[in-house]
Amino acid sequence: MSNIVEINNLVKTYENGHIKALNGIDLTIGEGEFVSIIGPSGSGKSTLLNMLGALDLPDSGSINVAGYDLVSNKNLNEFRAQKIGFVFQLHNLIPNLSVVENIEIPMFTSKLSNSEMRNRALDLLDVVGLRDKAYLKPSKLSGGERQRVAIARALANDPSIILADEPTGSLDSKTSTKVLKQLIDLHKSNNVTLIIVTHDMDVANLADRVIEVLDGQLVNAGKDSLLEDKINVD
Amino acid sequence: MSFLKFIIKNPFRRKNSAILSIVGICIGIVVIVALGGITNGLVSTFEDTIHAGGADFSISGKETGDSAYGTNTIDANWTDKIANVSGVNEAYPIYVVLTSVGDNYMNTLIGIDPNGTALADLSINEGRIFKDNASEAILGKIYADDNDLSVGDSIKIDGEDFEIVGIFETGDSNTAGGVFTSISKVGDLMDDEDSISNIYVKVDKGVDPQEVADRIDSMYGDNITTVTSVMEMEQMASMLNMLQASSWGISLLAVVVGALGIINTMLMSVFERTREIGVLKAVGWSNRKILTMIVGESLVITIISAVIGSVIGVVLCSALAPMMGLDPLFTPEIFVQAFGIAIIVGIIGGLYPATKAVKLPPTEALRYE
Repeated sequence: MSNIVEINNLVKTYENGHIKALNGIDLTIGEGEFVSIIGPSGSGKSTLLNMLGALDLPDSGSINVAGYDLVSNKNLNEFRAQKIGFVFQLHNLIPNLSVVENIEIPMFTSKLSNSEMRNRALDLLDVVGLRDKAYLKPSKLSGGERQRVAIARALANDPSIILADEPTGSLDSKTSTKVLKQLIDLHKSNNVTLIIVTHDMDVANLADRVIEVLDGQLVNAGKDSLLEDKINVD
Repeated sequence: MSFLKFIIKNPFRRKNSAILSIVGICIGIVVIVALGGITNGLVSTFEDTIHAGGADFSISGKETGDSAYGTNTIDANWTDKIANVSGVNEAYPIYVVLTSVGDNYMNTLIGIDPNGTALADLSINEGRIFKDNASEAILGKIYADDNDLSVGDSIKIDGEDFEIVGIFETGDSNTAGGVFTSISKVGDLMDDEDSISNIYVKVDKGVDPQEVADRIDSMYGDNITTVTSVMEMEQMASMLNMLQASSWGISLLAVVVGALGIINTMLMSVFERTREIGVLKAVGWSNRKILTMIVGESLVITIISAVIGSVIGVVLCSALAPMMGLDPLFTPEIFVQAFGIAIIVGIIGGLYPATKAVKLPPTEALRYE
């Protein structure tokens, strides 16, 4: 299995270096792997996720994701559009657009025609089981359904990696299970690398590998936890 | 969904704010269109009036030589003197008198050489020009319509029957309400063949009329005075320039007020959508695309304002201006100006908020509560 993420001595500080969000992180993640990143609030796990998605840049060190050197590459929009699918704690759907139109938003960066965009968005709604809600506004959907639409949106441009930041953080446990199952199924069926940031150990243990971050450092680079079969996500 | 449709949909998320912005910009556009229509109407009327003479300038007497009818006259031999001045191409005398015409006890009767009617810019649309020294007259369309007269009818002028041989039209409403006959006939009627009222002068092609008028003034300025169309035009033009300048001033004000309004609306929109902008950055939208989206949304508001404002401006102006005796004229330039201003306001109003949005770091935008 080749590495899709290679990070060496990654450092990120805030407030003129007084706060070290990431302090010399070394990490590799294999292609198609499912990794969870855990740690207490302020440990640096979200900063690490932001670095992986090129939403933020490090002060020093190197970070290579899906063949892109994120430190030297100037075309990070293209990287985010083509290689990364984000799922956030809040669905962040655009309220005045229908469900299917929300899924089309990332495709505006592609060369797809309007009809191709629509067909792909509808296919993705099939995948997340919400085809019948395609033309509803997000306000007509439940919290879990909105998050599933957000997952479909993350898959819009067929990314290599899905980065999920507390994807079930605002959901009840039953809905969380359903959403997680959806994410894991998609990770498996599409062989897409799945990286989840969470503080919920039940969620973290579903991953192939659990990485623990504390005070900006990896305290546990994780071994295959293979806990997925221990928890019945059905 | 196309990117364009997305841009068009967005401003109406905050309907009240969008409507308020549209109303604000609309008012500016209404003023621009209405004022433009009125200014153009005045310019058109003025130009018609100026061209009604067909001459470059006219000459009248310096001293008051009142005729029996109260019109100033000069000696008829001035025509030859003026015709011989360098630069003068044609000089035709006219004799304007007030006399009884038809049922009107006092009406304007204008005598002119049949060959000089071109200088009066009379367009015969029925019949023909009168013959010299014949009891024939041509009537302005307005006069003919008002008095229910047509070619072939006869009309009594100063007690003498005249045959109506033609009906003319001209851009000048004063002239169109008058009656023309040959100048020699007017001299007969007034029993004064040595007097004329004015001389219409046309200068040689390529010669500056003002230059010729100045020459005549320097030669005969003690006795006669030149009233150049150019001078009249300059005076009127200066007034119209003021009107046009005020039109542009109001346009500028509309730009400033409109831009402030739209900046406010778009800034609010950007602040409210900070997290959404973070998501757009996260899904790979470039700064240029985000900038295009926000400026585009701003343009949607201003272009809608321009459409509505133009319609209201035309309707209002067309309804109200005639009550003030104005005849508005809406040319494509007015709408180009209105839409141009709307587009400028849209771009200016959208750029600042768009720049703010573009500068938002994605991580910060995504954290925004």
